[in-house]
Amino acid sequence: MKRQSQFHAREQQQEGERERQEAQPIEFATPEQLLRHDALHTPVPPAVGHRLQESVARLPMPARSWWRRLLGL
Amino acid sequence: MKEPQAQRAVPDRSSAPRRAGDSRPFAPGSEPVHAPAAGFAAPEFAELYTEHSQAIYYLALRLLGDPERAQDATHDVFLKAFRKLDQFRGEAAPRTWLYRIAINHCRNLRQSWQERHVFSNADDAVWEGAVARTDSPLRVLETKELGQRIQKTLDELPEEYRLLLLLVADEQLSYEEVGILTEQTPDAVRGKLHRARKAFAVLFQKTA
Repeated sequence: MKRQSQFHAREQQQEGERERQEAQPIEFATPEQLLRHDALHTPVPPAVGHRLQESVARLPMPARSWWRRLLGL
Repeated sequence: MKEPQAQRAVPDRSSAPRRAGDSRPFAPGSEPVHAPAAGFAAPEFAELYTEHSQAIYYLALRLLGDPERAQDATHDVFLKAFRKLDQFRGEAAPRTWLYRIAINHCRNLRQSWQERHVFSNADDAVWEGAVARTDSPLRVLETKELGQRIQKTLDELPEEYRLLLLLVADEQLSYEEVGILTEQTPDAVRGKLHRARKAFAVLFQKTA
C-alpha cells in the first residue's frame, strides 16, 4: 500500500512537471516558423488514407490502347 | 524552461536545391503510370501520399479552417493526382504539383461557399502602423489553443498573405516554387513576405 501511494505521488509529480514544461513559452522569430511548428504537430488523420485507398480501388481501369488489345497486352 | 528558437536566417531559396527524397521528379519521358485500381498498388502513388500528405493536409486545414473539410480536400486532391498521374511528366517537383492542385481545389471550395476574402491595400497601413510590436519574436504558450489562435489569425489575413505564409513555411519549397504557385516573381515573394509577416504578427497578438 505504501509502495502504491509512493508510485502515485511520483506519477503526479511527473505529470505536474510535464504540464509546467508544456506551459512554457516558445519563441518564434517569424510566423512561418510558428506555422512550421504547428504543422509538425498536425498529423494527417489515418482515415484519409483509408478512404483514399477505397476511392482508388473503385476507379475504373483505364482503357487499353488498341495496339495493346491487338497484341494481347 | 523556455525554448528560444534560434534566430535562423531565412534561407535564400531562390536557387536552393530541394531536399533529397522530395526532389525526385518522375523520370521525364517515363512510361505513364496506369496504376491498377486496387488501393495503393501503384508504388509511385503510395510514395507520393506518404511523402506529401501531411503538407497537403496542413495547407488545406489552414486554408479551409475546418478539419473535416480539410480531410475531404486532402482526399480529393490526391484522388485528382492519381487520375492525372499518367500526365505528370516531372516538369515540376511532385510537391509543387500537388500544392497547385490543392490550392486550386481549396480556392474553388472557398468561392463556392462564398468565403471570398476581399483584400484591400488600405490594410497595409494598419500593419505598418504597428511596427514596434511586430518587431518582437512571436512568443506563445504551447497549448491546445495555439492551433485555434493560428487559425483565427490566418482567417483574418488577406488571402494572398495567408497562402504566402503557408507556402513559405514549407521548407521544401524554394522561393521560386512559391512564386510559381502564387504567380509572382521570387523578388515579389520576398517583398510581400515582409508585409505578410507584419500583418500576421499584428493579428496574432490580438488573439492572445
